[in-house]
Amino acid sequence: MRAALAIAGVYGCFLIFAQFSFVELIRAQGIAADMEKALLGAMAVAGIAAGFVTAWRGVSVKLAKLALMVVALMAGVSPLFTGPMAFLAVAMVTGAALGVTTVSLSALLPAWCGVAWVGLGTGIGYAACNLPVVFQQQAATQAWIGAGFAVAGACAMPGWAEWKHAEKTRVFSPWAAVALFTALVWMDSAAFFIIQHSGEMKSATWGAALLWRNAVLHLAFALAAGYWLARGGARSLPGTAWVVLAVAALAVNHVASRGIAGWFYPAAVSLYSTALVAWPGWFSGSAGPKAAGWRAAWLFAIAGWFGSANGIGMAETLQRVPPAFVATAGAVVLMTMVLSVWRRWRVAIAVAAVALAAWIGGKQDVPTVSDAAERGRRVYVSEGCIHCHSQYVRPGSTDEEIWGPARNVADVLVEQPVLIGNRRQGPDLQNTGARRSEAWLKQHFINPRAFAPDSPMPSYAHLFEDGRGDDLVRYLRERGVDATADLIKRAAEWQPAVNDRSNDSPALYARHCAICHGPEGIGNGPLAGKFPTPPANLAKGPFVYSTPGPDLETRIARIIRFGIPGTAMAGHETMTDAQVNALVEEVIRLRSGDGLDRP
Amino acid sequence: MRSGEVLEQPVDSALRHALGWLVLGNAVGVYLSCLLLFPALQAGPLAYGRWVPVHLNVQLYGWTSLPLVAWLFSIYQVDGGKARPWAAAAVWAWTAALVLGVLHWLGGVTSGKIFLDWKGGALWGFVAAQALLWGVLAAAWKERSRDWNTTRRFGTLAGLAGLALVPVSLVFAASPAVYPPVDRTTGGPTGSSLLGSTLVVVGLMLMLPRVAGMCHGDVKSRGIWMFFAISWLVFGVTEWLGGTHFQALQIGAMLFLLPWVWLLPREWSRYDWPDGSGVWRVAVFAWWGLLVLSGLLMYLPGVLDRMKFTQGLVAHSHLAMAGFTSSFGALLAVVLTGRRIGGARSVVAWHAAALAMVVTLALMGWREGAEQSWMLDRPPWREWGLAARVVFGIVMWWASAIWWWERSK
Repeated sequence: MRAALAIAGVYGCFLIFAQFSFVELIRAQGIAADMEKALLGAMAVAGIAAGFVTAWRGVSVKLAKLALMVVALMAGVSPLFTGPMAFLAVAMVTGAALGVTTVSLSALLPAWCGVAWVGLGTGIGYAACNLPVVFQQQAATQAWIGAGFAVAGACAMPGWAEWKHAEKTRVFSPWAAVALFTALVWMDSAAFFIIQHSGEMKSATWGAALLWRNAVLHLAFALAAGYWLARGGARSLPGTAWVVLAVAALAVNHVASRGIAGWFYPAAVSLYSTALVAWPGWFSGSAGPKAAGWRAAWLFAIAGWFGSANGIGMAETLQRVPPAFVATAGAVVLMTMVLSVWRRWRVAIAVAAVALAAWIGGKQDVPTVSDAAERGRRVYVSEGCIHCHSQYVRPGSTDEEIWGPARNVADVLVEQPVLIGNRRQGPDLQNTGARRSEAWLKQHFINPRAFAPDSPMPSYAHLFEDGRGDDLVRYLRERGVDATADLIKRAAEWQPAVNDRSNDSPALYARHCAICHGPEGIGNGPLAGKFPTPPANLAKGPFVYSTPGPDLETRIARIIRFGIPGTAMAGHETMTDAQVNALVEEVIRLRSGDGLDRP
Repeated sequence: MRSGEVLEQPVDSALRHALGWLVLGNAVGVYLSCLLLFPALQAGPLAYGRWVPVHLNVQLYGWTSLPLVAWLFSIYQVDGGKARPWAAAAVWAWTAALVLGVLHWLGGVTSGKIFLDWKGGALWGFVAAQALLWGVLAAAWKERSRDWNTTRRFGTLAGLAGLALVPVSLVFAASPAVYPPVDRTTGGPTGSSLLGSTLVVVGLMLMLPRVAGMCHGDVKSRGIWMFFAISWLVFGVTEWLGGTHFQALQIGAMLFLLPWVWLLPREWSRYDWPDGSGVWRVAVFAWWGLLVLSGLLMYLPGVLDRMKFTQGLVAHSHLAMAGFTSSFGALLAVVLTGRRIGGARSVVAWHAAALAMVVTLALMGWREGAEQSWMLDRPPWREWGLAARVVFGIVMWWASAIWWWERSK
């Protein structure tokens, strides 16, 4: 337990002081950004150098305790300092002392505890820093809290002892481990930077209400990682951490998915951080603290300091975490894991052969097309629309009543690829062009739930950032546009089969119509301004498509059911006749002026 | 190292990788189920449509295919030969190709063909992995075949020739220019197509006890092979003639599957199976019977018209994959290694969850097919059905994780 508390103290001090409050204190001094980078660089250089010196001289408990007390001293006095030179001194001394502490601790741990305790220590360290009472303090207070963590860690640190595990276990070779953890730290740092520098994402991941969640996640996943390592999962844990971190890193790129990042990021960090601390002592094949110290020095120098700096630098330049970057990190992790297994050279050759074949095969040029609809068709295929939408109206079935006329099967099969599909989570899209306008399609892609409040369709707003969405809309607009005449004919012949009006008319109207026509039917719904022609004023007209006269209710029912081809008024093809009747009733009521009195 | 020892036996290695892909595929399946309930869980541009091929293909080309690779290793006696180290490498190559595939599917690189979704670099990577596997099998045959009797020597040689065609067939079949015959009334496969694809499975089931070298009683099997040949003949004729599910010819083709519900268990009962395989044989035939009977029922006029494009077909897919194919893969694992898959709790949990999911999806499909207003209204029965699907999916993921974990020890 004392070893776990020592780990927690070192992690806590490192995170809250060296990573957070020290940077904030520099900024509070008004020190230029370039100088800030120089100060942090000096901390890194001092840390790396001290780590190697420690490995060379041999680790000792006394030195580790002393170094941790020095970190505590620096954290304690840093809020009192002013000027770049004073901060340079703090940076260098803190970096050097942390270098000594981290290398020593990592090499000494096997003498004090089992590997599962590393998870507990890591979890406590991260969780403590995420507690609102710590995280939300001013920078100076955080520095003093960091000093407290360091003192607690030094006091908890046990005395000298022999390593408990006699058997040498080597899961990854030293260079493989360095590459593996560098990739992970790289991704972590990049994702961390994006979250830190986007106020919206920061509030979505580290908002006040979420700090407790983060603390619990950190503790739970670090504990799980410790248990996992103790159960022989040293090889699979980093790979799993990469998967979780990849989800988090990709999720931070988009506002829509930032909530996911908030869950995955703490989990991933705790998983791999536990493995990072444990590797030199337990899984590097080291026979004792001396060898483990060297491995820790190399690992922390390259993966810790270098990987972190590069990840932040990349994110700072690109302002996002590109999928290619995540894939590259994944390739490094995968190759490391492959190379770590038995008969590694054959496996490496086999995997390389696959990669080479893929690279050569993937170089085939895809011809660019100038036709927007064809480009849109490619987007349709690429986005996997086929998995939720069919493009096949079954001849002679009820499909024709709902989705329009069937096509000749030979015409369907001539397309490459054939896009019949086998599942409908949503409507058939064969005759979309006859049923929907471009403006409607675009708004629906951007926010499907505006039109159908519980729609399972996700937002595809991101497709409109680079023109793909417009191409997709054009493609769908051209699907079955020649069926418009047939649609008009069928609509003219249709009338509700039942007279049931038992549905809740106002609720139906609010759910399906108000978004465009407004709650009172005067054409001022939230989406009204998004269409080339404003939605009809259902209360006052003009009633261009539903002029007063005989069969008015039937004519309105047809508009509700089939829409008005050539306009943004879409049909509601899947509504039951009873629902259509209820909506007719509501529209008539609005027309008579009753709706204007609605609260 | 422990995993090093495991990798020394390619059969074990292939099965471990297969289970790893099952765990991943199930996790993605659970995520997809969650997305249907909560679309906001989408991770940026990685929408539902990009994850579906990951779920389908890792189940098909990972969990389902790798046990067959293990079986090939066993048939060609790779484990005890000089090709053994390369066999472990071939398994990793297969996994690497699937990883490439996953990256392609998530990146939006797709052929647009639901069960043959290989395109560009992923396609050629997978072809390379298959070529490497073929090389390993050929090397093993060259080393071992002199000790085999004539039947086995030439049978395995013919097998090698057939396997050489697999990558070529994959490239051909994955092309967007190729599409199988379509029942014009549904846009789906014809009865004869369904008969043909199922007969491939029947062939594998007929081969298993024989090729695995199990002793059998003195009962003649000529009749079953004759019926197998006749079934293929029926497939050829009905496929050539074509038709729809309203026509007796195509329904008749499907009826040729019915006797196999009884014939295959009868055939297998003649062999001495290894200890621990009983539970999986029962599972294989329970799911097999359900698969054939429900497949036949769902092909009937009126029923197919109602179930087509609904969750009912998803139910049937899960019946085939989570039920039958998974049981067959697990049985292969037990037969090939003599080691059980999972304890009673995880096995029962898997089958119970799979059955519950199939029933739930089938009921949802039947309801969906009645009328389409659920697309606008999101009625409670659909919400509860999707929620149940998440729960059952989590149970199945848990069971598969246990199996993978136990195999990794």
